[in-house]
Amino acid sequence: MAAERRFAGLRNTLILLLLWEIIGQLGLVAGGALPPPSDILIRLWQDRGDYPGHILATLQASVAGFVIGNVVAVAAGVLFALSPPMLRLFRGINIAAFALPPIAIAPILALTLSGMAPRVTLAALGVYFVTMTATVIGIAQADSRAEDVVRAYGGSRWKVLRLVQFRGAVPSILAGLRVAAPNAVLGAILAEFGGGGRWGLGTYLLGSLGRGEPDRLWGIGLIATLIAGLSYAGFALLSRRLLGATKAVTLNAAVPTGKDDGGPLWARIGMALATVALPFVLWWALIKLSGAPAMIAKTPGDVFTYLFLAPSAETAQAKLLAALAQTLPITFIGMVAGLAFAFALAILSKLSPRFISGFMPVALITQTMPLVALTPLLVLILGRGTSLTLWITISVTFFPAFVTLAQGLALVPRSAEDLPRAYGASRWTELRMVTIPASLPYLFAATRLTVPRALLGVMIAEWLATGRGLGNLLNQSRGYLDYGMIWSVAAVSVILSVVFYQ
Amino acid sequence: MTQPDGISLDGVCKTFAGRGRVVEALRDVTLSCPKGTFTAIIGPSGCGKSTVMRIALGLESLDAGAVRVAGEPPLEAARDGVTGVAFQDAALLPWRSVRRNIEVPLEVLGRKPDAAHVQAMIELVGLKGYENSLPGELSGGMRQRVAIARALVTHPQVLFMDEPFGALDQILRRQMNVELQRIWAETGSTALLVTHGIDEAVFLADRVVVMHAAPGRIVDVIDVPFDRPRKPPLFSDPAFHKVCDHVAEVLHGG
Repeated sequence: MAAERRFAGLRNTLILLLLWEIIGQLGLVAGGALPPPSDILIRLWQDRGDYPGHILATLQASVAGFVIGNVVAVAAGVLFALSPPMLRLFRGINIAAFALPPIAIAPILALTLSGMAPRVTLAALGVYFVTMTATVIGIAQADSRAEDVVRAYGGSRWKVLRLVQFRGAVPSILAGLRVAAPNAVLGAILAEFGGGGRWGLGTYLLGSLGRGEPDRLWGIGLIATLIAGLSYAGFALLSRRLLGATKAVTLNAAVPTGKDDGGPLWARIGMALATVALPFVLWWALIKLSGAPAMIAKTPGDVFTYLFLAPSAETAQAKLLAALAQTLPITFIGMVAGLAFAFALAILSKLSPRFISGFMPVALITQTMPLVALTPLLVLILGRGTSLTLWITISVTFFPAFVTLAQGLALVPRSAEDLPRAYGASRWTELRMVTIPASLPYLFAATRLTVPRALLGVMIAEWLATGRGLGNLLNQSRGYLDYGMIWSVAAVSVILSVVFYQ
Repeated sequence: MTQPDGISLDGVCKTFAGRGRVVEALRDVTLSCPKGTFTAIIGPSGCGKSTVMRIALGLESLDAGAVRVAGEPPLEAARDGVTGVAFQDAALLPWRSVRRNIEVPLEVLGRKPDAAHVQAMIELVGLKGYENSLPGELSGGMRQRVAIARALVTHPQVLFMDEPFGALDQILRRQMNVELQRIWAETGSTALLVTHGIDEAVFLADRVVVMHAAPGRIVDVIDVPFDRPRKPPLFSDPAFHKVCDHVAEVLHGG
């Protein structure tokens, strides 16, 4: 049975490759923008001298960021699990870390830090949230009865953590690392997009975009995907070796909250204010600590001045609003379309389970792909128009939303589905009464998950291709050395993501 | 001065604040278990019998009253290693072998595991040959025996058991009852067993404490007169059934 399925998978892949080859050879898509696989491989071989340097640079940044980000994340996760007030206090920062579009802060990092630091930072940011969440959840879900055993012998909080909770959280943390690994690669590549520099796959990709060499672009994309996929597979293998298989590919999009145990009103208001204020304090502190010149590095106060108080404030506001007016609608449309598509497909796949077993592997693979980093490839196929932006947004929202929904639906207990069926309900009644209501919570979860991605996708498309909206404003301001605007765009896009997420 | 009781609860009250209402879990519970005796607490679900045990273990705070375990407050007794405990569902750490699971209390107390003693505990509960198995590889009954061995490994003067055989089937349960009696007799500890099996309580205990719910309170303490060691045929003895019937009457508000 398993062998048969593997054979079917292999067969499908081969058919797909063959189709691709034929389409490519005939130049059917966008006048040869989709080269046949054979050309891509040949080009890859011809370019083999270029790759080691670029790959090495990207790998260095990803690995360093992965290590740093995860050490911080696990430490933070343990702290949050032990202290719910700390978790509530850091909620603002955690959401910001999850929702901030890397492309928006890449130029800022390039301004304030030097060398590899921006890339490492973005890679670290890419892994922090996933691993932190996995740690908190893993520790919180530890077997409470086993905790009782340790406490019944007078074991301290630390003993409980060491003997029961931390070890119990290991599967969850490993699952987090698995999802985090491709994120680190993606973060590094995005930083290369936004930060310049000579080496790195992102730089290489960007440099080749202008020259219009589809086969090289596809080769780079292939390598980037391969690295991200291998890092995922490596951790998947590791956790299987260590624990026996556990399968969780999506990340949990819910920011863990400490239980709000009431307390007096002033304490709760104070906590809420502190939660909102903390990210700004951190921003301010980082600027002061980095010692970057005030010309370049703006504090929250500077950005406020730039947007509202300075003489040029009105022009700045107008520019920002115009850009927002271009970016927001398309983000919204793309996201809704992606979600609707995912929802419909997930519901329909319930009617035809064979479909889901065929499509799921593809959807899972895309989870490990640096999709947004492959934007240049889509530019080749779709041109630089609005449809490009839309397609990128749909593609970055569709797959994670579909996986979240499909996995959520798989959790609906059998008996809940059997009940209407036992009374002779039709497939549609069953859908209406059980499947759709059951999937709604996952739809909300998927929405939260995809909002930041949609914004990121749109901004990258704007930055690299369409020349509109926030992404373009960011790129232009970089050219004009308009640092106030760069910071403003970054701040606005982070705040937007956080607001949408909430 | 007289020897302190193994376990004593005096006027213990406990309320839980649930969704907008306050549940009176225990009202004025007074109970003393003399050293070396076996006491069983029996009652319907939600009567607070597990809460009594958790308070005696220091896992729950109490609103009023006093608790002493071997003459000490519960947490101090726990830290001194006076107590041993076995919960419902063995609550083993799935990543540790049988031997390493049994060593957990020793690690918590900061004692050095004595390999020969741990081995003796493993043999006492009849798990020789399974020292290095993981909990996932054992049957439910074997896991429960690991939990018993873990409860005994610290040489406890006081042994707490919260429905230790609740997850087992009736046949296995009787076997485990017989073994538990043997093990308890060998260690000479004071035992408190929480259960909802009437025959289990009567077979094992010197005294059966019957509780009622809402609020959780003790309604009667019934002495069980049979000589020890009690043998399996006792389960079908008419005198045994008479005691069981009496417990059931009190339990159902007779």
